[in-house]
Amino acid sequence: MQRGLIQDSSQNPQKQQRDRINRVFARAVVVPTVIALALIAVLLLDTLYDTVSVQVVEVTETSGKSFALGQALTADQVIRLELAAQGKSEEEIAAFMSDPDEMRIFRLRNRVELMWATQDGPMRWVVSSLDDIRIKNLSLIEGLRQWNELKQGLKENQQLRLNPWLDYSFLTRDPSRNPISAGLRVALFGTIWLLTMTLLISIPIGVGTAIYLEEYAPKNRLTRFIEVNLRNLAGVPSIVFGLLGLAVFVRGMQLGPTLMAAALTMALLIMPTISIAAREALRSVPDSMRLAAYALGATKWQMISKVVLPATIPGMATGVILAAARAIGEAAPLLMVGAAAYVAFIPRGPFSEYTVLPVQIYLWISANLSEFANTAAAGIVVLLLTLGGLYALAFWVRRKYRVEW
Amino acid sequence: MNTSTSTTWASKKPGRSPGERLVEAILFATSLVSVLTTAAVIVVLFSETFQFFLRIPLTEFLFAPEWTPLFAEPRYGIGALLAGTFLFTAIGLVIAIPLGLLTAAYLAEYAPHEQSIRVKGIMELLEGVPTVVFGYFALLFLTPILQNLIPGLNLFNPISAGLVLGFAILPYISNVASDAMMAVPRSLREAAYALGATKFEVVTKVVFPAAVSGIVAAIILATSRAVGETMIAAIAAGQRPILTLDPRETIATMTSYIVQAATGDQPAGSLASRALFSVGATLFLLTLGFNILAQRIVERYRERYE
Repeated sequence: MQRGLIQDSSQNPQKQQRDRINRVFARAVVVPTVIALALIAVLLLDTLYDTVSVQVVEVTETSGKSFALGQALTADQVIRLELAAQGKSEEEIAAFMSDPDEMRIFRLRNRVELMWATQDGPMRWVVSSLDDIRIKNLSLIEGLRQWNELKQGLKENQQLRLNPWLDYSFLTRDPSRNPISAGLRVALFGTIWLLTMTLLISIPIGVGTAIYLEEYAPKNRLTRFIEVNLRNLAGVPSIVFGLLGLAVFVRGMQLGPTLMAAALTMALLIMPTISIAAREALRSVPDSMRLAAYALGATKWQMISKVVLPATIPGMATGVILAAARAIGEAAPLLMVGAAAYVAFIPRGPFSEYTVLPVQIYLWISANLSEFANTAAAGIVVLLLTLGGLYALAFWVRRKYRVEW
Repeated sequence: MNTSTSTTWASKKPGRSPGERLVEAILFATSLVSVLTTAAVIVVLFSETFQFFLRIPLTEFLFAPEWTPLFAEPRYGIGALLAGTFLFTAIGLVIAIPLGLLTAAYLAEYAPHEQSIRVKGIMELLEGVPTVVFGYFALLFLTPILQNLIPGLNLFNPISAGLVLGFAILPYISNVASDAMMAVPRSLREAAYALGATKFEVVTKVVFPAAVSGIVAAIILATSRAVGETMIAAIAAGQRPILTLDPRETIATMTSYIVQAATGDQPAGSLASRALFSVGATLFLLTLGFNILAQRIVERYRERYE
């Protein structure tokens, strides 16, 4: 039938015009998808690009040696070699390495890192003092363009490096006011702590709400009110939850800027998400299962806990993972409840101070534009990889455990 | 159906054990947490705001040209923050509405099943990017490019922040709007085709008007998200609350002011702290209004086709 129209249009200029508009529009509808893809690609490439830079660094304290990578050294072995190069005896080194405090101090003062290239060869371990004076930090292409020029101008104790900001040591270093020595360790531990606590609080509440609304709630005004309320809560800006947490948990309950206050705040924030996912999972369990359980003489809670809940686990797990992903990327409410402070130690318990990945990234971005741009980019790559892993996990759970009734 | 049968079944059961009743009570208590949360939000925001208005007259709040509670001579004009929020949101919507509606049209009318799943996947990717990452992208990638194109553009400006915001809220518009378009009955489309309409005409003159209430709801919902969006605004739009509508200027949104004020320690109960909560209350009322409006519109639209 449409073919007939097209044939007609060849004789009628008005219809030709209409067909042309039709064809143009059919192409235009894919434009936003292309733009979105391009945007994601540019975002990823730009961030990755920023995680490598060319630096001229002055080494002031260490032996200045670098250790070729081909010998399959670990960072610890490199530290051992570095200590030996500084003239320490075997026993001294062994004592030093077995003492966590000494090692902490060493790691605070020095940086063991994998360099892509130094002036004496590619891919090496370098131990450098944190008193490094950054003489120049150039973006990748600009630095490579000037590579030979910079190399000529090197003075004594200076090194020219192609420095990947995102390496293993970036994950294990503590935060610092010096971008070269700043790392993600505290933020990573903070994120793990916060996420665990948040989920421990929000899963029982979210799932409990879902079970009540799906299995128990009578159809009355109170139920409807709870439902409407839950939906509205999902639309409240996250920063308002931050204000709530600030007033109720940080100030009201005197928890201060601790993990506990943050976890309570985040739990309230993601609770509606978990609840909505859990309700959908519960709804997908067919009534025949419930009636069969009753027919065997089960009580209501036996029916729910032994029949319905086990059947909903994949659905709920997916919902919880997605909620967790949201919680990991969320920064705004945590800025309100005190994650923005400078924290030098990993949390020791629920009432420790903390910081998390997105907040650390925000602090780096807002600290000083050019100085911390590379660390922020490296942090973003870690954050995106974490989220990617979680989404992949959710996808896998959904596929693997999908139940067909 | 399934809940109502099982509920009546259970409630008719004679002599439920105390254990069973305890479980139900606990579950009921968990479902009240959400109600308590909302109540707490309202109490916290409005008690502090009330205290704020005991000191600062409403006329100052509504008509003062600046929002500078921390200055020696503080001014409390919410208009400055509203103007900033408006600029930021408007630029975001200028990007998100056309692109979102095109995507929705593609999902609902053009894409074969497999491709629509793929496009939805891309939109989910966009939705999954944390906004702090978008903020970084706006400030360190987009702004330098825009500064070359637009003379007089500040480092912190609502243009690049708004552009990136547009992509952050695009998925909301495309999801809700494509649902609305898919809900339009097939018979309407087929009637139009029978009259010789092209696909473009069917989409723009039949499907779009029939789904318009759902689409409007999608736009309102996205506006609400944009108004409440924090990290992009805090990173890339700046923190200078002045009453201006020049998009090249550094501005402050309500959310970015809240972040700025909260990260600089203010003692509880001080006027500056109360001012912070009054901004929060304004933001809460605004987004709540948008959300309720969108729900109303969606509900009315549902009645038409069921």
